[in-house]
Amino acid sequence: MKVYDCVPGLEFDESVDFQVSPCWFHDATHSVPPWTPMFGWFWVNFCRHGMQYGAEKLSLPTVKGWDWRFKDGAGYLALLIVKDPAERRAREERFKVAIKPFTADFAGMWKGFVDEIVGKYEKLKALDLDKASNIELLENFEETINTTRRMWEIHMYMMYGVYTAFVLFEQMTKQLLGIDDTSPQFHKLTSGFDNKSFQVDKELFELAKKAQAMGLKDVLLATPASTMKDTLQSSQKGQEFLKIFDDFMKNEGGWRMERMAEINVPTWLEEPAPAFNVIKMSLEKGVDYNLDEERKKREAERLATEKEVLEKIAPEQRSWFRTILTLAQNCAWFSEEHNHYLDLYAHAMIRRSTMGVGRRLAKEGTIDAPEDVFFLIPDEVRKAGINPGMFNLRTTVARRKADWQGWCANGNPPMIMQEGFAIEDAMKGLVESLDPIALKVVVGTMPVARPELKADLYGVCGSPGVMEGTVKVIWTENELSKIVKGDILVAPTTSPSWTPVFSLLGGVIVDRGASLSHAAIVGREFGIPVVMNVFEGTKLLKDGMKVRLDANMGTVYILDK
Amino acid sequence: MEVKEIYWLKELSKDYNDLVGKKCANLGELVKLGLKVPYGFALSTKAYEHFMTATGLKEAVEKIVGNKRRAGLDTNKDVDGMIEMSGRIRAAIEEAPMPPDLAGPIAECYRMLSEETGGGEVACAVRSSGAVSMPGQMETYLNVKGEQDIIYHVKKVWGSAFTTRAIVFRIDNNMPISWAPIGVAVIMMIEAKAAGVILTLLPNIGDTERAIVEGNFGLGESVVSGEITPDSFVIHKKDMAIESRSIGQKTKMVIYGGTGTTLCEVPEALQGAACVEDREILEIVRIAKQVEDYFGAPQDMEWVVDKRFAFPENIFWVQARGAKFAKKEVGRDEEYVIDLMLQLFRK
Repeated sequence: MKVYDCVPGLEFDESVDFQVSPCWFHDATHSVPPWTPMFGWFWVNFCRHGMQYGAEKLSLPTVKGWDWRFKDGAGYLALLIVKDPAERRAREERFKVAIKPFTADFAGMWKGFVDEIVGKYEKLKALDLDKASNIELLENFEETINTTRRMWEIHMYMMYGVYTAFVLFEQMTKQLLGIDDTSPQFHKLTSGFDNKSFQVDKELFELAKKAQAMGLKDVLLATPASTMKDTLQSSQKGQEFLKIFDDFMKNEGGWRMERMAEINVPTWLEEPAPAFNVIKMSLEKGVDYNLDEERKKREAERLATEKEVLEKIAPEQRSWFRTILTLAQNCAWFSEEHNHYLDLYAHAMIRRSTMGVGRRLAKEGTIDAPEDVFFLIPDEVRKAGINPGMFNLRTTVARRKADWQGWCANGNPPMIMQEGFAIEDAMKGLVESLDPIALKVVVGTMPVARPELKADLYGVCGSPGVMEGTVKVIWTENELSKIVKGDILVAPTTSPSWTPVFSLLGGVIVDRGASLSHAAIVGREFGIPVVMNVFEGTKLLKDGMKVRLDANMGTVYILDK
Repeated sequence: MEVKEIYWLKELSKDYNDLVGKKCANLGELVKLGLKVPYGFALSTKAYEHFMTATGLKEAVEKIVGNKRRAGLDTNKDVDGMIEMSGRIRAAIEEAPMPPDLAGPIAECYRMLSEETGGGEVACAVRSSGAVSMPGQMETYLNVKGEQDIIYHVKKVWGSAFTTRAIVFRIDNNMPISWAPIGVAVIMMIEAKAAGVILTLLPNIGDTERAIVEGNFGLGESVVSGEITPDSFVIHKKDMAIESRSIGQKTKMVIYGGTGTTLCEVPEALQGAACVEDREILEIVRIAKQVEDYFGAPQDMEWVVDKRFAFPENIFWVQARGAKFAKKEVGRDEEYVIDLMLQLFRK
């Protein structure tokens, strides 16, 4: 019998789980490096719940969401495909009704969800965790669990809806205009929208402007981000600036995680060094640069492209194509904005509540250090929640910490397959599911090598443009500070908390990505070229190399071979 | 309208529905549109009357049913009695010799059919063709060859109106029990190289300038049911140019087998090959365009290529109807777009 440890009921068990699917895919985008048990518990339980909730609410004809398992700190997933044609037809009928809110009043629906979920965050934040009673603290933790579950419901319902629309948009632009997501025109059609993530980044930029106006530019540039707070405290102007900065962080700017899908790293609010780095980068780059104007330029480009494109379409088809275009545009800005309100914010809430519990448990002697709480799971928090002093959870922490260190050292395989099952079969299943999220996030467009172009790497266009620059290979956010203006960022994938450095970049090359991945969307917003799905960028390219990327062609050339 | 016992399919139209049944009448309609349908002939209900009267079976059956009626007709309790009655009537029909003035013309028609399809004794499908659908009247006999066998199977179809199920259905619905006239179709078996459908527009975007042809090896059921990824060709109707072609990995096909059709493997070497030639595609489009022009509306048609005939005589049609597609005028843009989204899940 399988003994469940970190995620009861949802740990991978090959004696039964191959009956669900002969192949399980590793979610390398979110669970590398391996999750701590606490975060793995949240993700596997509720991302899984959200996907099945979303697929069911929309009655997607071919897929009932994804099943997830936890194994050695990794998330493994399999698609729940609807095989019976009669059931598919019945689901189609319900889909027709269920999808209507997306075409009727998308912005209104989304605003309702944002108000709901932000209301829940505010309630969680209202409790002073260190002054709260044990019972209040446990209550806050339970509400954090409920909030996370609700966040994933909204997340996946929205995502399935907008991605379906986006896949349709791609198909229609291909059929009617002969362009696909590797074409610059395609991206111009969906960029240049204002959104919350963009606004938060803009506020950071405004802070840099303020600092310059207050005469703090030289101090900020000369001081390392890690000691910035102390340095600013020592002058009156510095204190004034720090107050504005802290307000911004408390209200909105600070509720983001450095690593989107993990809670064992501080939020910006706790550790503002990344925010100071962004401000420093802006000052270096020069604050005359106007982000809003840049966005408006994108917007003007978009409107011009829309006009161009609509003229190419037969008059009787224009009106419904316009409807699809609007849906796809909603999808593009939603993809960027939802990170702010959903994943990043909710995970910051998990971090906040869990750390509150951790501090209490450490104080009462249940565990050694607050961070040890990440090696517990909610059942154990409940066990010790009201009377922490009565329990000793050190053995559990020590055992799981050792496990986790092992997971981190060993890594996890990209797939777990039943004997005799081939990778091709697995990929085929993925495509046959017609799951819009699987298609847009997991699969993407495969590059075609074109020897006549004599490039060193072949990928697909995430955002159009041609640029030369110096390579900086980035694996984690800590390394972002080595970027200087005009550099070419090379990474396995990019994360939402990296967005601010995009204003400095000359271009981006990522190993994996699809037209709705972070690098592509943000690259389009900043108008810099992005080449995706090159697979071996981080392997082949080294810091300091000079490269030319031609995103229009999907090619990368090493200039100083 | 001339009332006869035997008709060539090409003589028929929907006016003959009551006389020869829907299946035959529909094929006649296709012929009137200038479409080549599988060669064949139909026996009308007049032929049935002739047979039943001349052989004395009319009275015989009435007597069997009359005796049973006097003994009480309880379809629920007397199941064995029903089975026994069905067996006696069907045996009587199948054993009675076909009257010579009916057997002669049937044999003559079969000989002409055989000549038209290349001589020898052509394999035929002998099937019931009712004016309305009724349980038990679904008999189809495949691969029937030779005059004697054709005649025997025609009687079997007539007898199929007296299966236990059919009798019980008629008793329960207060319909005449002993008189069950039905049309019979005798149609050559297609030796299908490939089959499929043509839509004279691209349904998902309502593009009426183009047609789409989809096909697979074998009979058409595999294309219609969506079990495999068929070959798919988009043709510009005015230029008669094949604009795009997608060759599916066709692992399975439907063929005739046993008493019906079966799904079988496509030889591996063929799976990735186009199931139709370009000239066949263009001929299919040309004919479909004519039908579209005739009706003034986009068409959804089913075609079969028979391997025994040379191009262009090898293309046969088995179905034509108005194409269903989301017409822009019908709903608002939103509804149309939702329909397009649904198509995404039907690949």
